[in-house]
Amino acid sequence: MGHGVCYGMAPNVYADDDQGYGLVIGDGVVGDDDAEEARAGAANCPESAITVAD
Amino acid sequence: MPLTTDSLPRVSTETLPMPEARDEAWHTLDQHPLVEVEDGYAATSRDFVELVMKNPSVFSSKKAFDVLASPVPLVPIAFDPPEQTRYRHILQPFFSPRVIKPLEPDLRKQVVELIEPIVQRGHCEFVSEVASVFPTQVFLTLFGLPLDMRDQFIEWKNAVLNLSAAAGQTTIDEAAQEGMLKAAELFMYLTELIQKRRGVPGDDVLSQVLNVEPPDALSDEEVIGLCFLFILAGLDTVMDSLGFGMQRLAENPDRRKEIIEDPALIPAAMEELLRLDPPAPFIPRVTTQETQVGAHTLPEGSRITSYLAVANRDETMFPNPYELDFHRSDNRHITFGMGVHRCLGSHLARLEMQVLYEEWHQRIPHYRITEGTTPHVHWPRGTVGLDSLHLTIGESS
Repeated sequence: MGHGVCYGMAPNVYADDDQGYGLVIGDGVVGDDDAEEARAGAANCPESAITVAD
Repeated sequence: MPLTTDSLPRVSTETLPMPEARDEAWHTLDQHPLVEVEDGYAATSRDFVELVMKNPSVFSSKKAFDVLASPVPLVPIAFDPPEQTRYRHILQPFFSPRVIKPLEPDLRKQVVELIEPIVQRGHCEFVSEVASVFPTQVFLTLFGLPLDMRDQFIEWKNAVLNLSAAAGQTTIDEAAQEGMLKAAELFMYLTELIQKRRGVPGDDVLSQVLNVEPPDALSDEEVIGLCFLFILAGLDTVMDSLGFGMQRLAENPDRRKEIIEDPALIPAAMEELLRLDPPAPFIPRVTTQETQVGAHTLPEGSRITSYLAVANRDETMFPNPYELDFHRSDNRHITFGMGVHRCLGSHLARLEMQVLYEEWHQRIPHYRITEGTTPHVHWPRGTVGLDSLHLTIGESS
């Protein structure tokens, strides 16, 4: 939704577009190294807009 | 207990102990998700606040701002979708992180210049010497204006803010007349500035907004409204957040020690300070139709205000909500609002605050509230902040 919390916290997993909205980098599948970051980005989204599935 | 019309509690917000005990004041309101206040309803639970802020067609921002009777269109806050969507789409790229982030070295330099004299002197009044001037300088930087206009802008800004605080009053006193005169000066200045910049290429945000191509191009009136809103929404909010944050850090040396020992913790600390003290804690809406909030029916035309500081203390989302904790694993506070009207300047505000907290604590790790002074929150007001914050530098003797 454009708060920018996800890509601020987890720049390896999420990125921003030119409107400042968040998007997932690549196909959205992350390795174990980035899993914690991915979860932190989702857990801190003010709009609860991100779902992380195992 | 089911909520019915009869059981809706009433709270008199004017008598809340906000000036010296704001946590207590917010706690008074956190017992009920919906209460009646002087000007309508107050939504205080996270659930109800989400319901209101995520349904702009039912809960109108435009109708809520109509009462201000602003002489300029307050773009985009005083609009609802679809007009508001268009404005946001045009404006968002200018305030996105990829545009804001490059300002960092310049902002860091400016903040260091403000802090250095205080290191030498050993004491300061933080609100007027740092928190008020820094965001104003950032505005001037962003709009490509000379920094020596700073004090003039602070004077104009205070006049316009006092005017909007007085909106709705029926009598116009001398102070209000003076305020109107200042607002007119600012209006004239912006009008001339816009005429000068239109059609001239430039790196600053104002020039870029003015050079947006049709069909997105904004009229002079719309751009003036945007400038006014930027001044109304972007300057005192950062000032008030910084004042509150520094007060809590001064009063909690153990928490402060955490960020001094590990500066990487500053972003999380900043979010936690923001959670506890939203500077614009009341977000007004007016219903466009009869609607349900929980078990309660609100008639069309009801004023319902989201109380962000209370929603940020909803213990279903924040365990031990009154505790200052820099290690919350999820901190989904809504100090910048949520939904379509969420703060356009949040990326800039966060950068300003982070830079200040970092540079300050690197130079001034030890400080306390000056003996014999007490910071007060001005109250009642639509935005909250400290009147002053006197700090003494150094470890307590």
